[in-house]
Amino acid sequence: MELTAVIETRSLNKRFGGVVAADNVNFKVLSGELRCMIGPNGAGKSTLFAMLSGIERADSGQIFIFGQDVTRKQSFQRVKLGVGLTFQTNRAFHELSVRENLAIPQASAKLENKQAGQARLEFALDAFGLDPNDETKAAEIPHNQLQWLEIAMVLVGYPNLVLLDEPTAGMASEETQQTAKVLKHLNSTGLTIVVVEHDMAFVKDVAQTVTVLHQGQIFAEGSVAEITAHADVRKIYLGRV
Amino acid sequence: MRTIVGLISGGADIGRTRVFWIGFGVVVLLFLLYPTQTSAFRVSNVSYYLLNIPLGLGMALLWGYCGVLSFGHVAYFGIAGYIYGVIAGNMSGNPFGPLAGVAGGLLASAFVAGIFGYFVFYARVQKWIIPILTLVLTLLLETFLGQTAGYQWRIGSVLLGGYNGMTGIPWFQLGGFVFEGYSFYYLCLLVVLACYFGLRMLVNSNFGQVIVAIREDELRTELFGYDIRARQWVVFVLSAMLAGLSGLLYVQWGNYITPSQVGLLQAALPVIWAAVGGTTSLLAVVISAFALNWVTYTLSAQGNQYAMVIIGSLLVVTMLFFPRGIVVMIAERLGRLTARRAAPSQLQP
Repeated sequence: MELTAVIETRSLNKRFGGVVAADNVNFKVLSGELRCMIGPNGAGKSTLFAMLSGIERADSGQIFIFGQDVTRKQSFQRVKLGVGLTFQTNRAFHELSVRENLAIPQASAKLENKQAGQARLEFALDAFGLDPNDETKAAEIPHNQLQWLEIAMVLVGYPNLVLLDEPTAGMASEETQQTAKVLKHLNSTGLTIVVVEHDMAFVKDVAQTVTVLHQGQIFAEGSVAEITAHADVRKIYLGRV
Repeated sequence: MRTIVGLISGGADIGRTRVFWIGFGVVVLLFLLYPTQTSAFRVSNVSYYLLNIPLGLGMALLWGYCGVLSFGHVAYFGIAGYIYGVIAGNMSGNPFGPLAGVAGGLLASAFVAGIFGYFVFYARVQKWIIPILTLVLTLLLETFLGQTAGYQWRIGSVLLGGYNGMTGIPWFQLGGFVFEGYSFYYLCLLVVLACYFGLRMLVNSNFGQVIVAIREDELRTELFGYDIRARQWVVFVLSAMLAGLSGLLYVQWGNYITPSQVGLLQAALPVIWAAVGGTTSLLAVVISAFALNWVTYTLSAQGNQYAMVIIGSLLVVTMLFFPRGIVVMIAERLGRLTARRAAPSQLQP
């Protein structure tokens, strides 16, 4: 069976003043992949996520999600195609309860995915130890649970594609392992996942394919083994982590 | 029915216990009995305090729940009032004139807010600019209305009246029944209760949760698939219509309206009511709007020139010592006390 491209960018460019954040980026993620993106700070990982989700507009180039040209679409229109996204910093609604946080994405849920999506959500809630009826304010729960809450909030929308920006930031090693376990399970159910991550142990654990970004360009792409053996990648990035 | 009760008693406003609702019922009963115990003059004064509450509720919804501060919502108060005056005045003698005036006033305030809100929200104007833009709108309206003196500034047979304002505005009436005096008081009370319960249901609904989410983090909410521009626009128009409702009641109360009703001083008042009571609670703003109107009106009626200075000082004190609002912080303190008292009793066998 031929795998379809869930994300495809064509000659994507983005500059912030004199800083090149994306330089002719041709990025492709196939259906069912669990892709990790790595690279030094300022390599353009988060900017690429921001352009994919519509937070930032590309200076030039095209973005296709599920085969649709979304280059000129607003963020909420892209998300409705079945895309879930978390940010580099946690952006759960801190003043709302856990229950309310999980209720907000419900109205925009992609109902054609309900069966698979609900099973994924219930698995994640159970694995993360989150109670969907918990009335505790999000601001009052531990950091790792807050990170997990945001992943669960994304799953409430029954997405087909999830973009996670540093989902394990600030987590202890056992919590990172638990996150990895959940993501691998979700991916095994057919959910396409793209993760920006600095934690190489986590990347080695979960990634099927790794994309290395450097100075706004795709520097290298391949399996974990290929990337870790790549001399130039070791020089620019892996030697530092 | 259970859904309605659930929405009213949801967690998006203070006051959810049985004791609260008993107290609430007693207060409503006292308001119902008030006209039987006092003079027509005092009833008219309390009508004035009540008629401003929808304007305050609109401010609470827009600012407290949705996070958008409008410093010029009195523009919609004035638009509804003037349009009512024009329509009802021109249909004088027609029993449906006031009803047409009410519909026209509400539609006009919704229409202007809709156009203004469209440009503000769909252009994704930054939040800190919105208070300035809204204030400019109301000051422009005041300036325009102020220069409408003279016979040439009339619509049909109704004169706009410049700084002296529009006078002789007809009472509201349904069929042959004219709402004036005591009946007007009960009309105001009914409108306030309907607005309060309607908004309580709204803020406890999914729509209400989403507007709070927009207040907390616009981008995060948009990335859950919500068109936040549309929701902010809806809340803006709804709150403008609430301001319009107050404007309609105001012109029926005094049978006149002047451009100063959309001026800077009046523009600041709903913001102060919301801030002093606590923007994140509808009930707090109801209490605050009523109490501050009473203070302002009483001081002004006694010839005290410092009414606005006192109200302004109260705002400063609130900002310094009660940043979440006086009523909200008292309610929080009472809630903690009740919880502390309830905790040991749960240990009893």
